[in-house]
Amino acid sequence: MGGFLLRRIGQGLLVVIGVTVIVFIATRMVGDPVKVMLPLSATDAQRAAFAQQIGLDRPIATQFVDFVSDMARLDFGDSLWQRRPALDVVLERLPNTLKLIGAGLGLAILLSLPLGAIAALRPGGWVDRTTVFVGLFGLSLPQFWFGLLMIVFFAVTLGWLPTSGMGGARYYILPAITLALPSLARLVMLVRSSMIDELNQQYVRTARAKGLHFKRVVMVHAMRNTLVPFVTLAGWELISALAGYTVVVETVFAWPGLGLTAMQAIQKSDLFLLQAIVFTVAVLIVVINVGLDVIYKLIDPRIRLA
Amino acid sequence: MAIPMPVTTPVATARNAAQRPTLLSRLDEFGRELWQDKLGTLGFAVIVALLLMAILAPLLAPYDPAAQSVISRLKPPAWLPKGSWEHILGTDHLGRDVLSRVIYGARASLLVGVLVVLFAGSFGVVLGLWAGFRGGRTDSIIMRIVDVQVAFPGLLLILLVISVIGPSMATMIIVLVVTNWMVYARVVRGIVLSVRQTPYVEAAEMIGCKTSRVIFRHILPNLTSPLLTLGILEFTNIVLAEAALSFLGLGVQPPATSWGLDVANGRDYIFVAWWLITFPGLSIATTVLAVNLFASWVRVTTDPQEREKRFAYQRAKLAARRARRSPQAQSSEAKSQGGRS
Amino acid sequence: MNVLTRLTSSAAVAAIMALSPLSALAADITIAIGSEPSTLDPQVRDDGGERAINDNVYETLMARTPDGELIAGLAAAAPTPVDAKTWEFKLRPNIKFHNGEAFNADAVVNSVKRVIDPALKSEQAAYFGTITGAEKVDDLTVRIITSGPDPILPSRMYWMKMIPATYAADAKFAEAPVGTGPYKFTSWNRGQDIVLEKNADYWGDAASIDKVTYRFVGESGTRLSGLMAGELDVITNLLPEFAQQAPKFAAVSGLETSLMIVSTDNEVTKDPRVREAMNISVDRKALAESLFGGYATPAKGQVVNPKAFGYNKSLPDYVFDVDKARALIKEAGAEGKTIKLVGEAGRWLKDRELIEAVGAYWKDAGLNVDIKIEDFGEYLNQLFDKNTRPDAIFLSNSNELLDVDREMTAVLQSKASSASNSDQEMSDQISAARTETDIEKRQAMYDAITKKAYDLSYLVPLLNQQDIYGFSKRLEWQPRVDSKLLVKEMKITE
Repeated sequence: MGGFLLRRIGQGLLVVIGVTVIVFIATRMVGDPVKVMLPLSATDAQRAAFAQQIGLDRPIATQFVDFVSDMARLDFGDSLWQRRPALDVVLERLPNTLKLIGAGLGLAILLSLPLGAIAALRPGGWVDRTTVFVGLFGLSLPQFWFGLLMIVFFAVTLGWLPTSGMGGARYYILPAITLALPSLARLVMLVRSSMIDELNQQYVRTARAKGLHFKRVVMVHAMRNTLVPFVTLAGWELISALAGYTVVVETVFAWPGLGLTAMQAIQKSDLFLLQAIVFTVAVLIVVINVGLDVIYKLIDPRIRLA
Repeated sequence: MAIPMPVTTPVATARNAAQRPTLLSRLDEFGRELWQDKLGTLGFAVIVALLLMAILAPLLAPYDPAAQSVISRLKPPAWLPKGSWEHILGTDHLGRDVLSRVIYGARASLLVGVLVVLFAGSFGVVLGLWAGFRGGRTDSIIMRIVDVQVAFPGLLLILLVISVIGPSMATMIIVLVVTNWMVYARVVRGIVLSVRQTPYVEAAEMIGCKTSRVIFRHILPNLTSPLLTLGILEFTNIVLAEAALSFLGLGVQPPATSWGLDVANGRDYIFVAWWLITFPGLSIATTVLAVNLFASWVRVTTDPQEREKRFAYQRAKLAARRARRSPQAQSSEAKSQGGRS
Repeated sequence: MNVLTRLTSSAAVAAIMALSPLSALAADITIAIGSEPSTLDPQVRDDGGERAINDNVYETLMARTPDGELIAGLAAAAPTPVDAKTWEFKLRPNIKFHNGEAFNADAVVNSVKRVIDPALKSEQAAYFGTITGAEKVDDLTVRIITSGPDPILPSRMYWMKMIPATYAADAKFAEAPVGTGPYKFTSWNRGQDIVLEKNADYWGDAASIDKVTYRFVGESGTRLSGLMAGELDVITNLLPEFAQQAPKFAAVSGLETSLMIVSTDNEVTKDPRVREAMNISVDRKALAESLFGGYATPAKGQVVNPKAFGYNKSLPDYVFDVDKARALIKEAGAEGKTIKLVGEAGRWLKDRELIEAVGAYWKDAGLNVDIKIEDFGEYLNQLFDKNTRPDAIFLSNSNELLDVDREMTAVLQSKASSASNSDQEMSDQISAARTETDIEKRQAMYDAITKKAYDLSYLVPLLNQQDIYGFSKRLEWQPRVDSKLLVKEMKITE
């Protein structure tokens, strides 16, 4: 397992290097941060001074060398917008995104197992057909639209929940549901179809023939075998949420997480902040990927990690 | 979901294939098989309607979607008080006709969806074939690239790149192609590896068939149905991605139209003009839902294993019903089941 | 009083309000601001979010009435010029900062020196460009020294927040501000809110609201949702369409004036007749009504803000006359000639709409207009390009100091930031007026300049926009001409 982990970490390093190069090329092509960052009334001298201050006047090669060495020291520079280390801003906003993902994905995971299992008990029955149809519906709704409709209905018309922002538990409900919707749909479909497969397997029939209670068979045996694909998909959902799929939800609900911060950084041409966000997330994804592999191993010792 | 019975068994299909059926008979078969799945049919009908709408937009749309009219701003849909039949779905904050914008908006969604799936698909398939065939070093390099790129913070990187290059439809298409080819490569490589191990391909290679012949004759046919399903499902993802990017202001730029862009524009007006976000949003949802419904039919139909299952469920259902019902009802049930297949 | 205030309410809104939980106490309010401040240091950024909060925590030597008139703030009276380059301020006695530090000459000297120190890299430096230093005369007397005669200095001091002499050096200064104002800083929950509470020891009239929470809501639709749902009491930049939807609203003439800067050197637009036609072919009243729902005022012959010093009261309205415009274009032989109109989209309220509408008017007058909506970076390139000027370029000019010098430097003085004329004589006049300390003489000089700009149609001033605020039903407030959100002027009625 040690050798395997080393290989995965090596691959993670490749990911980080790849992201470094792409980010560097991209951010140094940005229109002109000097012009966009400074107020309209700034003088030419102020503009030049600013360019020099953030190092945009140096040759590209020098910038790249500095860039890489800064990355290695986790020094992403100061956010142009916030005027403090970009990493500080990222670390301050990251927990908010993680909380949102936790609430949304948690909801999806908790609901998908029972829903999928119930649907799988009688494939083709009305419960199953409804689940499948609602699931497809959940996959088809654009999140930003669904979120807006929920704000209008639950927050403004009914006044039950806050319209936006972050605060106590009530603030989590709408964004978490919006974020959960497509993940829930995918997870339910997966649980359903793999449960159906499992329930058709010989061992389930044998177990039932031996007189084991059906519920027990479902809960213990079929569920257990469903777990591997389930963890794979749930892990994928986690990674894609982190990889930026919270951006839309955070924008709609003014949720102060990394996604909203990334949009603000884009609006302010704050390339240091943007690159710090992309990096932190890239590293996080690498870590989660390795973690997931370890989890597979724990769930199903038959899996050969190679 | 109505679970259709297969019209032909796999064996029958194979026989038909040997006889090289005409296009017409194939279409007929497709139609009859699709008809069994009512939701799939509905999905397909909506897709055809959307395609027609996008292609015939200039003929269908009552107005130029970009034409502003300061006098007729924020007019409600026709059936509401103050609405008029001049603007069936009302007008937006610039006095543009919502119906015309919805009609033209189909173009952006479908164009981006089709082009991205086509380009990303071709690129991914070629790399997947190459990796699967060459094996060894080529394979491990290509698959390493796939693994690495899959682990990129996708959407964030997309946002970064688009905001740097400047948003436009072309930028969006390129970026989506570059970030969505990996899944095709993986699927294709997997299939190539497994197909190559089947005796008939090994035999073909052994007797010295050219690689190109092996690919076209033996491997591609095995790829068609998984690729078709994958492509359709990816299409829905791309349509949603286009909408989301346009919503964030990083996709289609005004004065061009896109449903996502229109939802973003209408967002500030949800209290005075609910129709601004409702219709474009519904259009996105309908499109994706239709494609999803169609896709689930395609998946079941083109996958022999799934067909098997479908057949088994049908039998199981029938058996269950028989068990529950009285003997008299049984025969009529069986008849109606038979009639449906 | 030119403040236009209209209040409205509706049964539907009342019903919505009744359903929503009014969690806050009677005298606690919540204000939405567009973006979270990046720092609460009052001297570093030029940022609306930071200002909205610090305007309540900090004060300035000079202040303004809600209607824009300059009055003494922390200064005991208006400053007196000692010589051409020196102004003397007497300070109000017995004022303390929230942390107990005394407000005195040292605090003022420190505030001035800090903000003009290049090391601070203050974005506000542009407001204080003429100030070279400050010296203490006695505890309550300070002299501020300028590089040359500067008649706008009192207005400038209205923009410079006074910070405590000792605490300003503290590392926490940027996160926990300490001023002399009617509200003191309580907490900053990053990403969520900033809370201020009433300063019980405030030297001026006591404020009536006890606690104010600022929430950061970027999207105007979301802000309106919050207002309608009863979560917010004050929102800014309400779109004109929504005025009637908000539980209550008020509009006040704002700081922004939109205009087209027309090049006097380019092929087609160098003919004054063409430029005049460009001015009179635009129906400003219709634009104000249709685009801004009436919450904008047609510019009166100039781009100068009507509340600003230097506004030329004698200039007439532009009379919309498309026939005369057509005749002028024909006379100048410019019929069907192409002019390039450069603009951007999304930076200012309804910018694209306004640009396209003006383009359509010009087309109607016989010109062929090529409208180029550029992305903001490219737009700025063209706006600041000293050598090649576009035939016409859109700008929305904001005059925070409420002094005509802003408009002069921004759009009229040749080779200054974004002017499109090469009138050396006018440039000299502007330079002269800038250093004239006699108020009446200065006004006369500006009147001559604005008159000339009007006669030769150097600019196409469009609309002076009004700021529209949305309030909850329980809030009462008269918005200010200077766009400041001063909580001490707000009241709650239950």
